[in-house]
Amino acid sequence: MYAQFFGNYLLNKELVTPEQLIDAIQCKQDIHLKLGVLAIHRGFMTVEEVEFVHVKQTQVDKRFGEIAIEEGFLTKQQVDILLNEQTPDFLLLSQTLVDKGYLTMEEFQASMIEYQSRFELTDLDFANEQSNKVNALIREFFEFDEVNDDLKEMLYCYIILLFNNIIRFVGNDFTPFPIVKIGAYPITWCVSQKITGDFSLHTAMDMDESTLISFASRYVGEDYKVNDAYVRSSMEDFINLNNGLFAVNVSNDNAKTLYLQPTLTENDVLFVPEAPIYYIPIQFTFGTVNVMFVLLDQ
Amino acid sequence: MNLNGLKVLICDDSILFRKQMKDFFTANECSSILEVASGQEAIDAYKEHQPDIVFLDIIMPNKTGIEAINEIMHYDPMAYIIMFSSVGTQQYLKDAIFAGAHDFLQKPFDTCTVVNVIEKYLSVKGGN
Repeated sequence: MYAQFFGNYLLNKELVTPEQLIDAIQCKQDIHLKLGVLAIHRGFMTVEEVEFVHVKQTQVDKRFGEIAIEEGFLTKQQVDILLNEQTPDFLLLSQTLVDKGYLTMEEFQASMIEYQSRFELTDLDFANEQSNKVNALIREFFEFDEVNDDLKEMLYCYIILLFNNIIRFVGNDFTPFPIVKIGAYPITWCVSQKITGDFSLHTAMDMDESTLISFASRYVGEDYKVNDAYVRSSMEDFINLNNGLFAVNVSNDNAKTLYLQPTLTENDVLFVPEAPIYYIPIQFTFGTVNVMFVLLDQ
Repeated sequence: MNLNGLKVLICDDSILFRKQMKDFFTANECSSILEVASGQEAIDAYKEHQPDIVFLDIIMPNKTGIEAINEIMHYDPMAYIIMFSSVGTQQYLKDAIFAGAHDFLQKPFDTCTVVNVIEKYLSVKGGN
């Protein structure tokens, strides 16, 4: 996940333009090989085993390698071999920016050193996306003011899970932006779901129509052309999947019980909840998705 | 898997999940597939059509799957109902089983899991 946050860092430093970054992310995406593909190529796993792991990832919040080891498809040594073969996403992005002439090698090196120093990251951390430092980076990047520590921790767990699920089921060609706090939001196409129980959270994702179609197409593996009931249902399925896994994580890790309410899709309305809206813009290569949270019982 | 002769009722407010389930049953020779989008519709459809097996989502607007299974089981204690949800916590599982569900599926749709619960249903029915 370093690549996504490093991209935002370069934007903030005005070393690249948003257009250059999106172009580089798009190119990087074409080169990036997933662990499952590498495992099949190496002869470590069959297509059916990789598919099994992908399905399992919709039910438990675990990494590909973890599940593959648990199921006996891969050994720890084989996972290490595959991870070593997989060029870190962060390096792919940097290499693409340099290759395209958007960033000089000197600018890249200087910004990387500054970034590593600011977030106390080592070269090893960059090579290992499983490092806990990714979680620390997310906590530093997204600031929630006026939220108590317990709820803040839940929100961070939610955000980390959401980014992992976006990478697992939609793609890693995105850059997140810092949180914005507002009182009202003009909805374009928005899927939402309330989570109730030991704490209450209203979650939502808003985007324009073409982004909705692209996101849904990727998630379900269909080539949707128009915004119909299946597209909207696919988006609802995604938020439902994410929130379902969140409820399981919270139940397992924090012994809290959460219940999901039915999903809802709305179009062209003004969202004015009783509490402030925290929203995170996520810029994908195909459009922008605004993820929103409202703490209902702060 | 030949499911010819099986009468199935699929209840979910998600049109995507209903389509995935319907495609699965159609591909397995099942010609009697009923689909509804709410708990109340599931109750009405059950009383009217008496399906062999019911797939019932827990989280739905208006009337939840748990409310629907309670009414269906009250009407027909022999109803064979499989509940599903995107939330795979022990609490959801307990709620479903306590309400009388024979099995519990975690969403999203997965062919292998559906095959497993149908095979279980067939073995139970074959044993009767």
